[in-house]
Amino acid sequence: MRVVFSAKGPGRLLQRLLLVLLLCPFLSGRSPADPTMITQDANQSQGNSLTKMQAELNESSDNTSYEPITRTVNWKTQDNSPDDLTLGHSVSTPDITTQELKQAANESLSNGTYVEYEVLLPGVSGTSVGKNITLSSATRIELSCKLDKKYPHLRGLQVTWKRGNETIRHINKTENSWSIQLMISDNSQLGNYSCTLKGEEEISAVFFLEVPKIETKEKLIVSYERDTAIMICKSSYAPISWTWYMTNGSEQITINDSLLADKYVISGISANVTQLKITKLTKEDDGVYLCEAAFELGKSKGKLKLKVLSFIVPLKPFLAIVAEVVILVTIIFLYEMYLKKKEKRAEYEREFDQIEQLKSEESNGLENSGPRHRRI
Amino acid sequence: MSPPISSDLGYIPPDGGWGWAVVFGASISIGFPYSFPKAFTIYFKELQAVYSISYSQVAWITSILCATTYGGGPLSSILVNRYGSRPVVMLGGLLCGVGMILASFCTSILQIYICVGFITGLGFALNLQPSVIIIGKYFLKRRPIANSLAMAGSPVMLCSLAPLNQFLLDNFGWRGSFLILGAILLHCCVAGALFRPIGAATASVKTRVTEEGKAALEKKVTEDAMEMNSPMNVPMENKTEEEGGKNCCEKINQYLDFSLFKHRGFLIYMVGNVLMFLGFFAPLVFLAPYAKHTGIDEYSAAFLLSILAIVDMFSRPTTGIIANSKWMRPRIQYFFSFSIAFNGTCHLLCPLASGYTGLVIYTVFFGLAFGMVSAMLFETLMDLVGAARFTSAIGLVTIAECCTILLGPPLGGTLIDTFGDYKYMFIKCGAVMVLVGAFLFIMNYYNYRMLAKEEKERKAKEDDPESVRTENEGRNNWDKETTQGGPELEPLREEQEGLKKQVNGTNEF
Repeated sequence: MRVVFSAKGPGRLLQRLLLVLLLCPFLSGRSPADPTMITQDANQSQGNSLTKMQAELNESSDNTSYEPITRTVNWKTQDNSPDDLTLGHSVSTPDITTQELKQAANESLSNGTYVEYEVLLPGVSGTSVGKNITLSSATRIELSCKLDKKYPHLRGLQVTWKRGNETIRHINKTENSWSIQLMISDNSQLGNYSCTLKGEEEISAVFFLEVPKIETKEKLIVSYERDTAIMICKSSYAPISWTWYMTNGSEQITINDSLLADKYVISGISANVTQLKITKLTKEDDGVYLCEAAFELGKSKGKLKLKVLSFIVPLKPFLAIVAEVVILVTIIFLYEMYLKKKEKRAEYEREFDQIEQLKSEESNGLENSGPRHRRI
Repeated sequence: MSPPISSDLGYIPPDGGWGWAVVFGASISIGFPYSFPKAFTIYFKELQAVYSISYSQVAWITSILCATTYGGGPLSSILVNRYGSRPVVMLGGLLCGVGMILASFCTSILQIYICVGFITGLGFALNLQPSVIIIGKYFLKRRPIANSLAMAGSPVMLCSLAPLNQFLLDNFGWRGSFLILGAILLHCCVAGALFRPIGAATASVKTRVTEEGKAALEKKVTEDAMEMNSPMNVPMENKTEEEGGKNCCEKINQYLDFSLFKHRGFLIYMVGNVLMFLGFFAPLVFLAPYAKHTGIDEYSAAFLLSILAIVDMFSRPTTGIIANSKWMRPRIQYFFSFSIAFNGTCHLLCPLASGYTGLVIYTVFFGLAFGMVSAMLFETLMDLVGAARFTSAIGLVTIAECCTILLGPPLGGTLIDTFGDYKYMFIKCGAVMVLVGAFLFIMNYYNYRMLAKEEKERKAKEDDPESVRTENEGRNNWDKETTQGGPELEPLREEQEGLKKQVNGTNEF
């Protein structure tokens, strides 16, 4: 984590910032001992770590009251771009930053959450840059579009922030960045917010604000009649509640586990995970199941498909393979018996031949010895 | 160097013919026990969800499976000594199949431990040892090739079982998959059917058929005598050794030859191998997690294992061919110790591998080394102990290896957990294997020298006529007198024989 001081004219801006720093505690009426976070221009490459931090904040926040002065929490992702406008004097003091971050997080517990997201506009038209932002509870959010230093020819152009057709008033944060501040407190405020730079070509960036997605097993869940099936839904943020539905054609039926307690059991393994256990499966349980997570800002669904098979289905390949094994073993044994018989027959024939030979030799020998004897 | 290749079986193994069918059967029958535990891990997630258990509890299934497979070695040896390879392998195949079929009906994890762990594990034990034993009975000159081809069945099975398991799981769920796997395991029975019994009796029948004429008959007579002698020699030896009437020990030795513990080569092999398995399987188990730890995505990590299996598949037969060559065969023990040390060096160098390319290179060398060691694992034992005593030897070795095989991966796991870094596990495995390689090399060198010395002494005894005379004629009193002037009496004796011949000749008149 790096603390970066924006430095246009390094000396002057630095002085200004220092002033703000000093004045801030007095303005807010807080004790000077409280650490303050400096609003910084942050370059974001992907912002994954940012959203995670955001998530931690959201989970721990009360969302009860919002005070006008909030803590801005900004932290950099690994940023090595040499074109960083804000690079003039970068200070990397990791210990201090993490301390500040922690304290900021603690304070946001009581204050509500405020997050900033920034996106770099592309220089080429036709390409649009987008950012997915997941919000699970009410937040104050600031979205800003920044023009990269690389494109000086695009300076001084007009920028419009829109949501659908409706234009939103924006603030010029700096000469090359424009932002809007929003208070997202219900579902209707989620959606796509875009900033468009109008010049010869149109360059735009879009922020997608949405509720967290549900993770489920995408493959078919296969189970058997009279068996048990278990379906699990996971979410990255803890929802307020979980509900399970079963779709029968087009209609959705809520699964009430208290009504049919021996058939359905809904259990929460943890706050983020829910499990539906269906016992004594029948063919009618086959179909699509939905798990719905209710967040403060809306609902999110996950789909699971269950297939119930009868036991005959795997039995057919099983019997086929067993039959094949039996046939192979029989063939091997039969072949061996056939070879043995052949050997025995051949052996018997040879013995017979040998006996014949012996007999003929003996008779020959007797005949031969006679004349020899007589000769002497 | 090692003593010349000789068969102590009592017959000349065919080294071909039906032997190749036996090798094919053995590759199936060896492939299943080695590849099944690895391929079974695909079902873990499913079983975890269904029975609500942790990963370590579900991993017990494969641990029990491996433990029973290796621990059942002595039982397998006893049964083979008594009944021969074929019935044992067929029984083993039946057990495996029945175990998996029962597992598909299980309702608790304990029942799965018993069905998949014990029953199928026992079936595998009855498959593994007899298959290796029967290769020793069918091959002598080409035994390294036959052994390595049979061991090559393991990576082939792994490559086919892993995607098959995934396919079955997707289409039939885990219960249907277990049922169908049970049927597939029954193919071990088919492999068993191929293991036609061979021995001194059947070999003599063959020679009766192949040769013709009087010579054939004469041979038959001598071989029957040999056949009668060989089983009788064993009990006679036992009687002379233990005249104290220890009948139970004789009986046990008949089934499981504990006298192997006095065999120098066997002891060297056992100590070396038992230590080697401490570091043999652990890198295999942790390769994919290590790849993921260094930031490689899941599919590429799985692909590393596939690379390993493919390289292994080609490395085993190649090692067999090299080991069988005229130059290498007498020095096969050195080749084996070299391959263990090579394996160890690979692991020691692994932490230096950077990025995916480095890991791929490491995997290729690991696959090579793994295949080399596996191909020669049983061949070296056969070479040291001889095919006749191999039956008991393998049983005793596998039960001793059982402990370290099971200890290896968890030990590696604790090292990883304690230090939070995979490199210590690789260093430990590498160091163990290099040390074992060096140990085996030195001890086998010593063993070869002692064997050469003993061979020399034996030859000296045979050539000396005095000692022969004293042994043969020690009992007869008359002979005792004549032995004092032994060499002088020889020409006398010859004269006697010559006179006898003349007498015979005159008798013919």
